[in-house]
Amino acid sequence: MKPFLKKHWVHTLLATVILILAGLAYARGGWQFVLAGLKSGLNILGRESVLLVAAFLTAGLLQAVVKKEFVARWLGQEAGLKGILLACLGGGLIPGGPYAYYPIAGALLSSGAGLGVLVAFVTAKNLWSVSRLPYEFAILGGTITLRRYLITFLIPPLLGILVEWLFGTKISAIQEGVKK
Amino acid sequence: MSSATLILWCIAGVLVVMSWRAGPGTIQKGLELTWKTTRANALLIILAFMIVGFVNVLSPEELVTAWIGPTSGWRGIAAAEFLGMLLPGGPYVVFPIIEILNQAGAGLAPVIALITSWSTQSLLTISFELPFMGWRFTSIRWGLGLAIPILAGAVAALIWG
Repeated sequence: MKPFLKKHWVHTLLATVILILAGLAYARGGWQFVLAGLKSGLNILGRESVLLVAAFLTAGLLQAVVKKEFVARWLGQEAGLKGILLACLGGGLIPGGPYAYYPIAGALLSSGAGLGVLVAFVTAKNLWSVSRLPYEFAILGGTITLRRYLITFLIPPLLGILVEWLFGTKISAIQEGVKK
Repeated sequence: MSSATLILWCIAGVLVVMSWRAGPGTIQKGLELTWKTTRANALLIILAFMIVGFVNVLSPEELVTAWIGPTSGWRGIAAAEFLGMLLPGGPYVVFPIIEILNQAGAGLAPVIALITSWSTQSLLTISFELPFMGWRFTSIRWGLGLAIPILAGAVAALIWG
């Protein structure tokens, strides 16, 4: 049991969260709510499946096409600020939810991208996001949107630099941990 | 088909052309890597979407609206950071909720802290992050990120408060 849990701890964690949420749903509205939750999840999965295929395809092909030396030079630890800024740009431009950009970030991780670069990519995806801009502008209005972008503009590169400076050397442990 | 799907398929298309030009075997290698990643993560993705489904049904946005209300100041910013983590879903779900809070008088600083917290600290996102990046990455990114929404809210309060 123990080695199983150790090897599949992400599965175990997610399954535990599901059980807790299912319990909460049951407490709220009985089996009907539990069933509705399962249905809703599968519905969204079905709706996003075309996007998921594209994301996984992109992640797979990216690793085959982009040479490790190229990633090392442009996005690796040695790339420094250049790599972090490039990652911010890529993150800001890439569309889709976490099920789309995390497979791609995972592909970059296994191709040798640095920790600061990866954090900058994920953070810029969520703070610079160009594809989200129209919604934010339309619903919250120009003033809030503009001020929000202004205030959070420096965060993706700064967080990337900070993380690289503090924990940059942990990248090989992170890479190994995912490979297992 | 959403524009995100369309753009990602275009990127995948460009990569297919690039692998085709990169020489024999590259496309096959890419597809093998695609299949390997898919197989390793399929169950996790399904589990993660089940979490999304339950969160949908439990609609924590009601909780968020009830808690944050028109509170402002430091308490409002701190509450916004915490509640931003619980906000589920994409921009078309979350922005209308934030707009309701905004109209209820939440104030600029908590609203900006809320958007930022949902962007960088969302708990639902972690279900998708863990399988691909591992716990070390998540704890570093999320842990350091905890300071960001509060800082963003505080700066907003200082400048426009």
